[in-house]
Amino acid sequence: MDTFSLLLNGLAVAIEPMNLLFALIGVILGTAVGVMPGIGPALTVALLLPVSLSFGATGSLIMFAGIYYGGMYGGAISSILLNTPGETASIMTAVEGNKMARDGRGGKALGAAAIGSFFGGSFATLGLAVVAPFMVMVALSFGPAEYFALMVLSFMTVSAAFGGSIIRGLTALFLGLAIGLVGIDKLTGQARLAFGVAELRDNISIAIVAVGLFAVGETLYIASQKQNISDKVEAIKGSVWLTLADLKRCIRPYIRGTLLGFSFGPLPTGGAEIPTFLSYSTERKTAKGVAKEEFEGPKGAIEGVAGPEAANNASAAGTLIPLLTLGLPTSATAAIMLAGFQQYGLQPGPLLFTNNPDIVWGLVASLFIANLMLVVLNLPFVGVWVKLLMIPRPWLYAGILTFATLGIVGAEGSVFALVLLLAFGLLGFLMRRFGYPLAPVLVGTILGPLAEEQLRRGLMINRGDWTFLFTSPIALTIYAIAFAAVLGPVIWRALQPKGANTAFAMDGD
Amino acid sequence: MSTETEGAGESRLPSEPQHTTGRDLAGLAIALGLFALAILIWWDASSYPARRNYAQVGPEIFPYVVAAGLVVFGFLTVRLAILSEFPERSEMNWPPVGWIVGAVVAEITLLSIGAGFILASGALFGLSARGMGRRPVWFTVLVGVCISALLYILFRHGLGLSLRAGPLERLIDSPFRR
Repeated sequence: MDTFSLLLNGLAVAIEPMNLLFALIGVILGTAVGVMPGIGPALTVALLLPVSLSFGATGSLIMFAGIYYGGMYGGAISSILLNTPGETASIMTAVEGNKMARDGRGGKALGAAAIGSFFGGSFATLGLAVVAPFMVMVALSFGPAEYFALMVLSFMTVSAAFGGSIIRGLTALFLGLAIGLVGIDKLTGQARLAFGVAELRDNISIAIVAVGLFAVGETLYIASQKQNISDKVEAIKGSVWLTLADLKRCIRPYIRGTLLGFSFGPLPTGGAEIPTFLSYSTERKTAKGVAKEEFEGPKGAIEGVAGPEAANNASAAGTLIPLLTLGLPTSATAAIMLAGFQQYGLQPGPLLFTNNPDIVWGLVASLFIANLMLVVLNLPFVGVWVKLLMIPRPWLYAGILTFATLGIVGAEGSVFALVLLLAFGLLGFLMRRFGYPLAPVLVGTILGPLAEEQLRRGLMINRGDWTFLFTSPIALTIYAIAFAAVLGPVIWRALQPKGANTAFAMDGD
Repeated sequence: MSTETEGAGESRLPSEPQHTTGRDLAGLAIALGLFALAILIWWDASSYPARRNYAQVGPEIFPYVVAAGLVVFGFLTVRLAILSEFPERSEMNWPPVGWIVGAVVAEITLLSIGAGFILASGALFGLSARGMGRRPVWFTVLVGVCISALLYILFRHGLGLSLRAGPLERLIDSPFRR
């Protein structure tokens, strides 16, 4: 079957009433968490991981993808009105968007952001549908050596791209690998690092790790800081609907942003930060006339909102390509979505496309629907989301903790799981305080056991000969890319002006 | 959100010392923790019975690799700490952190003694809201118990999640049973 008919089949899955409902829940939740500063899509997907077990595979994956996309839409709202990016992908939106809001053109900025997200999200999803089958064909020829190389690539790049320091990134990765060791070894049945505790023998659930690090750790981190956040919410002024003249100014930034986001999303560079930054600087450099004045003055240019917003949604779609075709997560949210697949016994990769085409293509088709829902939710109903910015912090974080433990207690059924949750919460808090990125821990925990399996399978086939790792040309190429990816960010940072560094030092979603 | 974290590239500039104090004791403690974890993993892996197979290696190989990596990065962490290359930390606000940790401990304790999900989770909600600055604590706990009761009905009877039952839960369950 060709892509088109597969996509049509997927559409049939996606428009089943229950799946539509899951997509709707996903985009609503995603927008809500995107709006609120401090909680991102990664945290939300982690919170829902244990609860979603009763939803079924297709439904919960559709919901997770909706959260991911929704987070990218919602992030723009707090960036523009509060000048506090809801998540890292929206940092560049805040620059021009908040200037526009203070200039009384907040409505226009929100409109440009929503349409940009729709444009970027839809076209990049189309790109995903076209590119994925080719990736699958390539991936089908991969053996243990290539998969092991891919995982090394993922380890390296995730650790190098997130956070400010490669040493701290790789330390976080090894912590994750250590967590992944706990439990019964799949190939021999040997219990590792269990110390006779029954709950440790069957692996530490990834949900506990993710919820502990992101929800409990983040709450502790925010609580530990003396409050000095200015919460000045700009009122929405002006219509959110764009005029034809506005659209004409936006269309080029939309196209450029989409291309940037879609090409950077699948690369393991850590999500949306780099493409949104590139999109912003491109728009700023190419601006002429009125736009140039607005970029440089206090008014704020619509192009500076349009480009990055198209780019961040496009990168979300791009991220799904390596996740679905190779099983490689390139952002924190993607890593937790991978755990979502695993909890249903599904392993993303080329075989997923042949064994479960309805899930894959249903997911892809539902992304188009999610985008449609999001543009409706974000244009006429934008005022509702702004109200979320008013929830007092004590209630918000108490609610997050309550929901986090509810999910863990409900899914694991043991009090020991809560003890582990607290331990990972404290770990996450320490890591945040000392500038360690959290995403490599998750990637290490999830991919570590898979990498080990590939390595030992390869050794078994080759009778203990380690050189098999370095004889395949594909694997060698991948190692070269991994090496370049570690050095890349170092060079990238060295080339940037000083102020730009902070944007890349934050945790990615 | 961390906002002031600095990039690796700039922190290597020797001309701009961030702290006047030379060493970062907390950083050294982190390194110590990494070494301890490495030793634990190494010790555990060395206790596995030897197996003969085609791979020549067994379940101990990956733990050895991980332990070795932790040791390497432990030493690099020592270097970070000595050069004070950790990002600057803002002043620590202890009481809220204590309240929230206490809130989770309270939930664990209440669940273990069989008080049930609603009371345990209500205590968690109330104590952590108090920790984030909302007072008085009896009010936040009351709000927490009400919210937890709603969550219990929604997730226990709506979605079939199994949540620990105590006296309050049995009271709520009784009308659902028929």
